[in-house]
Amino acid sequence: MSAIRAGLSAAFTIALLSPLLGQNTSYRPDPNWQTPAEAASRKNPLAARPETATGGKKLFMRNCVECHAEDGSGKPKKHAADLQLPVVQAQSDGTLFWKITNGNPDRGMPSFSRLPEMQRWQLVLFLRTLKSAPQENNSAPMSLR
Amino acid sequence: MPRLGHVLAFAIGACFLLPAAHGQEAPYFVTYDHHMEEPGNLEIATSSTLGVPRSDQRFFIAPYAEFEYGVTGRWTSELYLEGQSTSGDSAVFTGWRLENRFRPLAREHRINPILYIEYEGINEATRIQKEVVGNAPGFDEPNSELTQTHAHELETKLILSSTVHDWNFAENFIVEKNLSAAEGFEFGYALGVYRPLATLASAKNCRLCRENFSAGAELYGGLGSTNGFGFHNTAHYFAPVLSWQISNNTSLHFSPAIGLTHKSNPVLLRFGYSYEIRGFGSKLARMFGGKP
Repeated sequence: MSAIRAGLSAAFTIALLSPLLGQNTSYRPDPNWQTPAEAASRKNPLAARPETATGGKKLFMRNCVECHAEDGSGKPKKHAADLQLPVVQAQSDGTLFWKITNGNPDRGMPSFSRLPEMQRWQLVLFLRTLKSAPQENNSAPMSLR
Repeated sequence: MPRLGHVLAFAIGACFLLPAAHGQEAPYFVTYDHHMEEPGNLEIATSSTLGVPRSDQRFFIAPYAEFEYGVTGRWTSELYLEGQSTSGDSAVFTGWRLENRFRPLAREHRINPILYIEYEGINEATRIQKEVVGNAPGFDEPNSELTQTHAHELETKLILSSTVHDWNFAENFIVEKNLSAAEGFEFGYALGVYRPLATLASAKNCRLCRENFSAGAELYGGLGSTNGFGFHNTAHYFAPVLSWQISNNTSLHFSPAIGLTHKSNPVLLRFGYSYEIRGFGSKLARMFGGKP
């Protein structure tokens, strides 16, 4: 119960603060954008090489900031996900990799399968650095996923 | 060619005036893969095909400008304006093309199909050879005569493309119909494979890092028409391809294509420069007071 309460309070705090921070509070995950279980369970092969996240940052600046903003907070006008939110950070590395690879073209998220596989894993590694302080508790309410 | 000149001047000017975005695309000149333009992005590219002739022909250079726009995540539209200059002859505007590519499947699959349809309003002086179909054309007549023969053509392609361990494999099957002449349906193919030279992004911003280069090869040619299907009197080329991502939004492409049959040009040298403007659609909408 305490974990749920902590998650709810974190989500509530973020909802209150994010307009001040310019975050995309209107973002809601697409319920139809579901990662297959096998893909979601994949481990990041670069997990033991955290230094490669710097290259991931460069890729993020090149490919993602137009919609997700430099701090990953997501531009509301682009309807882009706030990558700092627990609902995103709680997703597995495999899920984030799958979503980067496949995109969600009907919701404006392009596929980045043209990037080499390792570079997509570098992006996942960098996304993990976007967690803001209140979101370090990754227990997001299930209704938001 | 005043119109083409204006377009090229606009394209070059836009490269210096408009804000940066990103590029990173396949090095192919002829083959298409399954990657679409990102929604709202505009890519401006200028390319040229330099033809090294057979002994009885003349050198030519055929420049063309491309304006590729991502209409939606599954629909990319592209306008081409093309010209041609032949040594000892003249420089002429050879027409325009409007192509559309549609991605029927939302997710990545082992083989990703793309449907392609293009309308071409060109004349017989065209030399860009963005696709090679039917039987090999003769380039013996002067431009003044070739430009008098107009062709309204409809071209369709089935594009199949796969990504396997960072290698891209693409196969294009082409059917073209000249609506201005009773030539039947013409057929062609293009096959391509490429890979980035490095798969891990380095931490530093570098221009000459291996990660900024992609290399591969294309094989393309004509397959005759409904009046005579097969390899007889057709042109075929094998072409190594190389691309260099110079910056986040610009890239250079180069390909020396080697003719494989006596009906092919011995060599086609292709050069390309592309520049991508991210969020072009939103910027344009804001300019006219619309909702981005």
